[in-house]
Amino acid sequence: MSTSFTRRGFLGLTSAAALGAGLSACTGGGTSTGGGATQAASNNLRLFTYEDDSTIGLLKAQVKKFDEQNGTTTTVDSLPGSGAAVYPDKLRTELLGGKGPDVWRIWGGQIGSPFAKAKQALDLSKYYDKYGWDSKLNTTAISGMTFDGVKSGVPFVQLGLGAWYNKSLFAKAGVSAPPTTYAELEALNDKLVAVGVTPCGLGGKYGWDIMRLFEYLLEHTSGPELHDKLLTGAESWDRPEVVEAFTLFKKWQDKKWLPQGALALDPSDVEPWYVQGKTAYTIAGQWTEAGAILAAKKSPAGFGNFELPTDKSPARHSGFVEGYMVNAKTGNADKAAALIDFIVQPAAQKAMNITASTVKGAEPDPKSLPLSAEWSQKYGKNGFYTIQDQAFPKKQADQYFSVQSDLLQGKVAPDAASKKMQEIISAWAKS
Amino acid sequence: MATTVAVAKQPKRGGRWSPWLFALPALLVYVGFLVYPAVSSLWFSLTNWDGLSATYKFVGLDNYFKLPHDPVVVTAVRNNLIWTVVTIAVPTIIGLLLAIALNGKVHGKPILRLIFYTPAVLPLVSIASIWGWLYNPQYGAINSFLRLIGLDGLAQPWLGQDSTALWAVMVPAIWLRTGFPMLLYLAALQGIPNELYEAATVDGATKWQQFWHVTMPSLRPAHYIVIALSLIDSFKVFDMIYAMTYGGPGTSTQVMGTWMYFNVFQYYQAGYGTAIAVVITLVAIAVGIPYVRSQTREAS
Repeated sequence: MSTSFTRRGFLGLTSAAALGAGLSACTGGGTSTGGGATQAASNNLRLFTYEDDSTIGLLKAQVKKFDEQNGTTTTVDSLPGSGAAVYPDKLRTELLGGKGPDVWRIWGGQIGSPFAKAKQALDLSKYYDKYGWDSKLNTTAISGMTFDGVKSGVPFVQLGLGAWYNKSLFAKAGVSAPPTTYAELEALNDKLVAVGVTPCGLGGKYGWDIMRLFEYLLEHTSGPELHDKLLTGAESWDRPEVVEAFTLFKKWQDKKWLPQGALALDPSDVEPWYVQGKTAYTIAGQWTEAGAILAAKKSPAGFGNFELPTDKSPARHSGFVEGYMVNAKTGNADKAAALIDFIVQPAAQKAMNITASTVKGAEPDPKSLPLSAEWSQKYGKNGFYTIQDQAFPKKQADQYFSVQSDLLQGKVAPDAASKKMQEIISAWAKS
Repeated sequence: MATTVAVAKQPKRGGRWSPWLFALPALLVYVGFLVYPAVSSLWFSLTNWDGLSATYKFVGLDNYFKLPHDPVVVTAVRNNLIWTVVTIAVPTIIGLLLAIALNGKVHGKPILRLIFYTPAVLPLVSIASIWGWLYNPQYGAINSFLRLIGLDGLAQPWLGQDSTALWAVMVPAIWLRTGFPMLLYLAALQGIPNELYEAATVDGATKWQQFWHVTMPSLRPAHYIVIALSLIDSFKVFDMIYAMTYGGPGTSTQVMGTWMYFNVFQYYQAGYGTAIAVVITLVAIAVGIPYVRSQTREAS
């Protein structure tokens, strides 16, 4: 056998192996069937969620109750931590692998939408009729999990975002009450910086956390009507109100109202900083009472919350819904729907400490969750604008985060950022 | 008298199919887990599949034509090149220097070897988290140390600005990847016969001349292994970038691997993402073949 043949053969094999290894890393099984045939019916269910250690035990306890009453065995899997950045990928991979969960938790809007549009999520209309969810759940929340007219999810959480603050740090800055106007909020920030406290704790690693500040500023400069039109692409982003919002956004960083190097900080690290005394406040929803304050064994009395003042009427805050979907390929659709109905009962919602339930009669308990109850009473009835990472598809949201990043680094000016945003949104609207 | 020895020809069991029968189990695994997915991926790169739906359309080479117009692809290619050069050159040189140092008369050699190699066995996500904390602009050890020694001006948001983010991620990558070449070089150094150095000394060679004319030529096989493995490691970079910066700030630290992942798994553009995977693979092969050719030429 000649040497050249051996070498060629070796090269061929090496190339084929490299080609195979490189490409096979991309699609795994390479199936295009979206997870294969319907699974066989059984008494075994699997629920996939993203609860963290502070709440997963409560969910499991309720699921166990359901199992005892229905003769089922339900496995609860959780992927806590990175929020909407990673969880949908894992879910999608499971579904394509044909071993997807029977029930999964998911955010509404553009995060849940791909699962409904790809028909991976079951149309739950008949179960809405069977269990009367239309009359038991908040109507706005249901619309957040209805895609192209199909009810593909059952919302059980409708969260509003506001400022959650550390009272002792406000007192250190000589502030006794939350701000009621944007000017007062800026004045508060200056006072906090003057006493060495970073005002607002947000982290930009995944883009969505620091976005909460910009969307608030956009509501402040644009007002409700224009803001809603901007989110749907009905109005151009290349306009003075958006330029002003970007200008203020940069101001927040330049005046050190955000942590140093906020763009790279992990939100899961930064969000509890207001509880740890490293920042004065953060922008979060009611989950932070159980997830940050109570988890740190701190008394809620040391903290407070307020709706960020927009100076516009009606006053609104950022909000989003979360709920459950059922696998379109499950062989246990009836049992999966029954499990969801069990979970959205007021008793179960209260037992799970759901701080912003969509279920009528499951309002937060003022004794165990005083701050969440206070938020619900004060601001729960106010309208909300769709949180921006649910308003845009993931690709456009990432492009938008990229614009934020360039602006904060001084690579683009506010007016250029507005123009860039308009390019992104108009390209999306055309697609 | 001539004696003839007749050697009876043994009948072959299974005939010419025997080698294939022995190879069959491995071939089945190879075809099932490598060839089939690879061909599938190649096919999907010619479609507009979203990665989730049951249906898709054939779009020909459209996904490939889009690549040069994607500004993030340009950034990713540039980052891949920088990453490849730096994370091959620096760990290899440091690994070689450490190996030479440890090959001499050094106290506590096993402990030092362990210390230098330990990063290579740590879980990568843990390394990313640890370095993420070290780089924290306000509370991280790196900036705290700089402030402590009066170099406040050098304290930076290392991962939070385009100008430093990629370089900051490369530091733990180098830290992680230095131990492996060190071990390989150390083993190779211990295999060089002492007589070569003795002869060189007799001939009047200086230490520097011994290094270049005895040590380096003797390390050639080790160089091949180190560089080949480093090249593969560098091309497939994904995890460190994903865990430390998520491709940001913005898209400034995107590499082809992460951009492929974002498209396939997050943007529901599996066809386009798979086209990126095909290009990565072809580039890796194009770069790898000259190296393999030179290696086989040396061996023959």
